[in-house]
Amino acid sequence: MTNAIVQVDNITKQYRGSPQPAVSNLSLKINEGSVFGLLGPNGAGKSTLVMMMCGLLTPDNGSISLLGMNVKNKGAAIRKQVGVAPQEIALFPTLTAYENLFYFGRMYGLDAAVIKERIESYLTTFDLKEKANSRVQTFSGGMKRRLNLIAALLHQPKLIILDEPTSGVDVQSRNVILDFLVELAAKKTTIIYSSHLLAEAERICTHLAILDAGKLIVAGTPGQVMDATPGHENLEQVFLTLTGKNIRD
Amino acid sequence: MKIVATIYKEFLLLVRDPGGMTLLFLMPLALVIVMALVQDAPFRDYQEIKLDVLFADLDHDSLGTRIQQAFHTSPNINLVENNDTAVVNDLVHSGEFKAAIILPADASKTLRQKSNRVINDVLVNAGLVAESPRPVELTGIRITILFDPVIKANYKQVLSAAIEKILTGIQAEWILDELQGQLSENKPGTKKIKPDLSGLITIDQTYASENAATELELNSVQHNVPAWTMFAMFFILYPLAGNYIKEREEGSLLRLRLISGSGLPVVTGKFAFYFGICLLQFVLMILVGIYVMPLIGLKALILGSNITGIIITACSVAIAATGYGTLIAVYFKTPQQALSFGSISVVILSAFGGVWVPVYVMPGVLQQISRFSPLNWGLESFNDLFLRDAETILILPNLLKLIIFGAVTLAASIFINKSRTVS
Repeated sequence: MTNAIVQVDNITKQYRGSPQPAVSNLSLKINEGSVFGLLGPNGAGKSTLVMMMCGLLTPDNGSISLLGMNVKNKGAAIRKQVGVAPQEIALFPTLTAYENLFYFGRMYGLDAAVIKERIESYLTTFDLKEKANSRVQTFSGGMKRRLNLIAALLHQPKLIILDEPTSGVDVQSRNVILDFLVELAAKKTTIIYSSHLLAEAERICTHLAILDAGKLIVAGTPGQVMDATPGHENLEQVFLTLTGKNIRD
Repeated sequence: MKIVATIYKEFLLLVRDPGGMTLLFLMPLALVIVMALVQDAPFRDYQEIKLDVLFADLDHDSLGTRIQQAFHTSPNINLVENNDTAVVNDLVHSGEFKAAIILPADASKTLRQKSNRVINDVLVNAGLVAESPRPVELTGIRITILFDPVIKANYKQVLSAAIEKILTGIQAEWILDELQGQLSENKPGTKKIKPDLSGLITIDQTYASENAATELELNSVQHNVPAWTMFAMFFILYPLAGNYIKEREEGSLLRLRLISGSGLPVVTGKFAFYFGICLLQFVLMILVGIYVMPLIGLKALILGSNITGIIITACSVAIAATGYGTLIAVYFKTPQQALSFGSISVVILSAFGGVWVPVYVMPGVLQQISRFSPLNWGLESFNDLFLRDAETILILPNLLKLIIFGAVTLAASIFINKSRTVS
């Protein structure tokens, strides 16, 4: 039986002044080694859920445990084994790619030699080696996005949380990122992948959860989700059926 | 290692930010030089300013000559003779001259008559001479001093006091002269002498400083260099808050928050870096005070002998400035809010603190308020060290206030930051 690396139990979070909870009585289980797609329209509660998983938001009710530890009181220990690539390009624009990664490596507590070796390896994998000493502000959107991902991988975490990792990148960069994630999952790293891009999710995710208005609509393997809503040819049709066609802001 | 990495990262960010470098180093250096030059004249009011004063001598007698002789040696007043009172009036009214002295006609004659009357009365009273019939009543001599309305009160006082002093001296001399004249009439053969009245009383002006040999005084450089140095050090909030909020908006701060155990090293590293920048600013500004000011015609900054005290004070000011900057950076959510509030608050604190003008020339209420400004604590400490050559123990209360201020603002920053990290 596969171990649950993430266990979310009945969590609710309502922001002050908001009439509706951002996440309502939500439960999830994510198994080790899976690529878990967290899908939903704008305002579905994906980012709030991710923030609570990272310990940056405290749920009003319920509990979250990652790697067998409760986020509420073991946040620091959990964060050592979790890598997060936020949707923002969370890098220093006036530093070079190498300087950015070296700094974050240091903050993860890694030795200089280890950091150098990993930077070399990841920059080669993501085709950024020649740009190692260029400032991030001169990078294209795709290059920044790849570097943003590397910064979350330096400490080789057991669990990686990616928020829109391919947002605003070209097809080539997207392909490199997705191939890498598949490769990483094959090495038993668990990936939580939050996105709007259903085709990408269909391509790489072993499991999915579709959220809407803070509630879990459906969860399972892509096959199970498709079976749960018969008569659809792809995940996008299922998604629209489950969440509606109204535009969300 | 995390702290060192953060310090190095901050260093790289700063050296690649020309605007930040200019704001931290070039602007304060320009500011301290400009302010020292601009405020040089007001600071020299009592000491080195020589004021041109018109002199209309309508007397054309010995009193006018004596006044001119007396002012000839005055370090503060230079008499320019012009006997046309209408022109004199116009020149002062137009502001070309700040003041004029008008000595009326027959002033010497009247003074002689008055002196004669005084001595005669004394001698009659003593029974030394017979009472003589009194001539017509004598009116007093009315010397007019015209002032330009914009003249500073200090100048008015200086000029009035100088004239009064000269006239008192002349009057004393003439009375003595008259006394000798009348005595010699009653006692023929008495030799008339010219008594030396100078030096009967002398006033030694010195400063209550142990470092008397250096003849320290609060001149423009001694005031402006430490004052604007502290202003610049407190302005560290500008790059500090700007960079911090930029990191928050760009997301790099979020990434750091997601890295376990990075919170304290990030805050400590930033604090240490900007603390170091504050000290570097201090050293540069002091070097400008010592070596650049004399090159532009100002006096060189004198530090006094308590170098340890100066280092401790600089560190205390740096702690307070960095703590305040960190609080502004953490508390405000947008750069506009942080930078507007931060810079205006530093200007207000500096105004109350005595950076713009010394505290002792402020109204009483403001002097009381100035005690609550960290810039005042720093400035008072530097004045104690530079001008009074104070021991460190004497400035300890102000240093403690600065350190506590820095510690409290930093603790508040950490608390706010933590409470916003997890909500």
